[in-house]
Amino acid sequence: MLEHQLIQSTGFRNFGPVGAREGFAVRIRVPNYHGTRLSHFDGFDVTVDGELFPFEANRFGIRDEVYTLEEMREETEARWGLTEWGEILVDKPGGLEPGVHKVEVKARIRYSYFPPDVHIFPMQAERFATICVA
Amino acid sequence: MAGSFKYGVSAYSYTDDYGSVMTLEDAFDHIADTGATGIEILGEGQVEGYPNPSSAFLDRWFGLVDKYKLEPTNMCSWVDMRITLQRNLTVEEGAAELERDLRLAHQLGFKFLRPKFGVTSHDLIPETQWEAYVERNLDTAEKLGVIICPEIHAPTPIKHVVVDGYINFIERTGTKNFGLMVDTGIFQNKPLTHWGSHQINEEARKHMEFLNGIAVNPEEFLDIARYVVFIQAKFHDIDENLEDQNIPWRPVISALKRAGYTGWLSSEYEGWRAPWRSIDQVRRQHALLRKLEAEYDAQPW
Repeated sequence: MLEHQLIQSTGFRNFGPVGAREGFAVRIRVPNYHGTRLSHFDGFDVTVDGELFPFEANRFGIRDEVYTLEEMREETEARWGLTEWGEILVDKPGGLEPGVHKVEVKARIRYSYFPPDVHIFPMQAERFATICVA
Repeated sequence: MAGSFKYGVSAYSYTDDYGSVMTLEDAFDHIADTGATGIEILGEGQVEGYPNPSSAFLDRWFGLVDKYKLEPTNMCSWVDMRITLQRNLTVEEGAAELERDLRLAHQLGFKFLRPKFGVTSHDLIPETQWEAYVERNLDTAEKLGVIICPEIHAPTPIKHVVVDGYINFIERTGTKNFGLMVDTGIFQNKPLTHWGSHQINEEARKHMEFLNGIAVNPEEFLDIARYVVFIQAKFHDIDENLEDQNIPWRPVISALKRAGYTGWLSSEYEGWRAPWRSIDQVRRQHALLRKLEAEYDAQPW
């Protein structure tokens, strides 16, 4: 099962070849109280130790697929289930140093049943999380 | 004594616990142990593989319904009006979303379907296409024996054009397969401290004034009671003396009783999302509501 909080401990990792890491991944559960079609997400801001990685450049991985922001915005068929995890993929040459980092995520979720001007709703969470391997 | 309420619980009550410290079977167990006889779910939530569950899931679902003796009550669904950032659903697409959920609700044994329509204003006026979505599905709903019931939810009060619109639709079509769901959050008359997983700060309070409660007079329920088919018993915090910190249950129960309401009261806990907190909060609500109902039946007020 998933961990209770939005940002998961497991899955916080560097990706890309060892010695030439391309970035890092943050695993989260769906930032909503119900499963949601991917087109209802408008990206994820990630901040690590105070450094902001804006949502426009981050990608999203779920099951065996990876989506850019533009692809996710148009993906009306694929859904993110309530008990599934997804991961935010953040480009950062060299990756993150092993050890404990302060991680903040702001998921931008779109609610059709919220008033139009505030229909992109920020779901925020922060925690300490640990990179195990360089 | 008139009829009595039917007690149920929505799995929404267990948000955040569900899928982390609670399985589907755990939810059935917690609900049944309150003495409730009904289970409400979020279609795109508890239904694995939504909108097309596997036969293995269906077997498990009916096995649990049978084992815990819980009757499927209402399934919540959404019509995703702003389907992408660029465009809205067409009438055909919106009607198809509703039909998909009607059929799924029926397949799982639910008698009520609550679609959440998109809105176009701060007082939650639904998109104009909602009528077309519903009207195109009335025959299907009748055939399947499912009642479609959008909810009256804060910040929308009872005396409001949203409610008038739904009632006009019922009067115009004469349908028995469309009715009102009332969310008891509209009766909240004291401020919330937590809204689900969000601790409410002054900023949020400023932008979302309804978090302080829109305090609809429970007596107004009597004006619309004949259109109400389902009640979500929304609440946020009940203390160890069984005192609800936000919802004035005593006048609410009195109004429901005098209106002759004998349908479901389906618990919707929406308070602080600390792990496992929801489980006992739901139990407290059931103790409180049953106590008030027994007191009312013994000596009405």
